[in-house]
Amino acid sequence: MSSNSSRHAIKITRRALIGGAGGVVLASATASEFGMPYIRSAAASDPIKIGMIYAKTGAVADQAEYMAQGSLLALEARKNSLLGRQAEVIWLDEPTSQAAQQNAERLIGEHKVVGIVGGSLSPSALAISAVVKKAKLPFVAPNAGAIDLTGRLCNKYTFRLQPPADVHTRVLAPYCAGLGKKWYLITAAFAFGQDIKRSFTEFAAANGITIVGADEVPVNTADYSSFILKIRAAKPDVVVGGVPGSDISTFLKQWNELGMKGKIPFAEIAVGATDLWGVGPEAADGLFTLNWYHKNPNNPPEEQAMAASYEQKYKRPAADKAWMGWMAMNAMLDSIEAAKTTEPGAIVNALENWSVQRGGVKAGYRAFDHQMVNRLLVVGIKPKITDKWDYFDILAETPSTDREIETVFGSQAQSACKMDKL
Amino acid sequence: MFDMIVSQAVNGLVLGFLYVLIAVGLSVIFGMLGIVNFAHGAFFAIGAYLALTLSREFGWAAALGAPIITGLIGVFVEVALIRRLYGQEPLLGLILTFALALFAEAILRLVFGAAPLPFSPPRVLSGFVEYGPILITKYRIAVLVVTVFALIAFWSFLRYTPFGRIIRAGSRDAEMVGLLGINLPIALSSVFGIGCLLAGLAGMLAGPLWTVNPSMAAGAIMPAFVIVTIGGLGSYAGAIIAGVLVGVVTSMTIQFHPDWSSAAMYILMAIILLVRPRGLFGEKWERFE
Repeated sequence: MSSNSSRHAIKITRRALIGGAGGVVLASATASEFGMPYIRSAAASDPIKIGMIYAKTGAVADQAEYMAQGSLLALEARKNSLLGRQAEVIWLDEPTSQAAQQNAERLIGEHKVVGIVGGSLSPSALAISAVVKKAKLPFVAPNAGAIDLTGRLCNKYTFRLQPPADVHTRVLAPYCAGLGKKWYLITAAFAFGQDIKRSFTEFAAANGITIVGADEVPVNTADYSSFILKIRAAKPDVVVGGVPGSDISTFLKQWNELGMKGKIPFAEIAVGATDLWGVGPEAADGLFTLNWYHKNPNNPPEEQAMAASYEQKYKRPAADKAWMGWMAMNAMLDSIEAAKTTEPGAIVNALENWSVQRGGVKAGYRAFDHQMVNRLLVVGIKPKITDKWDYFDILAETPSTDREIETVFGSQAQSACKMDKL
Repeated sequence: MFDMIVSQAVNGLVLGFLYVLIAVGLSVIFGMLGIVNFAHGAFFAIGAYLALTLSREFGWAAALGAPIITGLIGVFVEVALIRRLYGQEPLLGLILTFALALFAEAILRLVFGAAPLPFSPPRVLSGFVEYGPILITKYRIAVLVVTVFALIAFWSFLRYTPFGRIIRAGSRDAEMVGLLGINLPIALSSVFGIGCLLAGLAGMLAGPLWTVNPSMAAGAIMPAFVIVTIGGLGSYAGAIIAGVLVGVVTSMTIQFHPDWSSAAMYILMAIILLVRPRGLFGEKWERFE
């Protein structure tokens, strides 16, 4: 470099450097307040994202589809907006519980969702619950029935709509006891099925009922004929089922095929309407508990409106799973609005205070375990099915009083949940 | 207890023959083409859905067209995709057919929906037969008869027809068959089509027994692979004997240890492979070794 160039080079002193840096900071702060307000408002106008984890493939995809549709309908009813901002749903799959866990982490880390709704099956919901506990993000599980979710493994961020197996059992088991004192249990070998087996076994022991046989069946069993032969040989008064999703369709088809329909009553808790629609009118049989039914004349006006919207949009009736997805998402969205913020702790507090009136019951999440308290339906199959979407006769709606609620849902003293803090 | 064992054994035999029908197509495709067809379960599901649709539109007799249509779809797939894999790395075949399986399930879900669809046996085959401890439905007897007939017919085709001889020769030495002036590609397409036809036939028969839903392929493909492995890759007789064995073992396990019933076939496979690594009737095939 020539001496002329060095004379014309800009000399940067330490003072100039510090002064320049300070000027940049001051300019930025000023710009954010006055000079470029659109930057802040652009950040504020980023959409609010709600995560959804429902199965898109696999054996429970049909149920999950209804739940997802119900959830999306809840947001559409608010014109896809929350807190005056655009809101959107990010829907990821749950082919396995491991994938559900990974997708929950993706929703939180990548997509920055403010809450998650979903978990079609108990193993997925339990996995998601562990993730949200660590990430401190609210999560509403509409369908998982494993007791542990709001029991031993409860946490401050997880809320559950579906009553657990023991609650359903307290509702249905007395009806089964009325049919006879010899029971055969056929339950699925996963969390929910094992809870059903345990609950009914406990009820049986406390009420002088004999369990003449109990089989744990692998999920997605294609052929139940060998199990049905065993049941037939055992000659029970009632068969209590605990098989999930499309497995119940398979079981009832083969139950009918082997001439067992009408010979021995069948009962199962927490079924969905879609499970029986897949069986067909010829083979459908049994006594069930259900969370919701589109033909129930006692449904509140908002739910009837939801059912009408659903049917108009999807050209089929709203199954109970659609209501569950809708209800779970509504709870999340209502709570965000009530909290007036997307801050997780505030949403959790709002969820704990959230409730809707459903007939004589104030449906809401209990503070000590975050389990929703709600009415259940006891339904039987119509003797003659003429409408391919109308299979059920409603036999009872319970609980309907606070006392019944405590009897059916159990008290805090009976709960295994040790709720943590935010 | 003896009555129950007899009853379960007969039930297992019927179940086993349905598995045989699913597996023999897979074994044939591998034996003749050297392709491990992960999409075999998808053709099973396609056969079930076609049977359901045809029976709803035209009556149950029309459902008999489902396997033929499935076979034709198989021919199309072979010409369009599978043909490019011959002589290539075996992993490519696995990847392509696995992708095809996922694609087929997605298409079925898109067209028919995710919900299970009711599909009943024909009324003339409703009811069951009871003979001592044995209880078996008329429809399952029909499944057994149709399966046995299909297996005999296919075996006769391979053994006694000129085209069958070409297929068997091509599976041993494709190059020599080509040098003799025989149009091997047509033969190979036919083999793939026949394998898919057998899968479609199994789907048509299983549809009224199991639940027709887009993911029903999984219930077929895993037993099929286990049976083909136990029987020996490419062995027709092996697939038949292994299928019956798997059916009976599964039924017996349900009787005594029901929670082990899904694992029983894998334990059986492990035991047999320890004793005979090529399977019961597996042969040494130079072109695969």
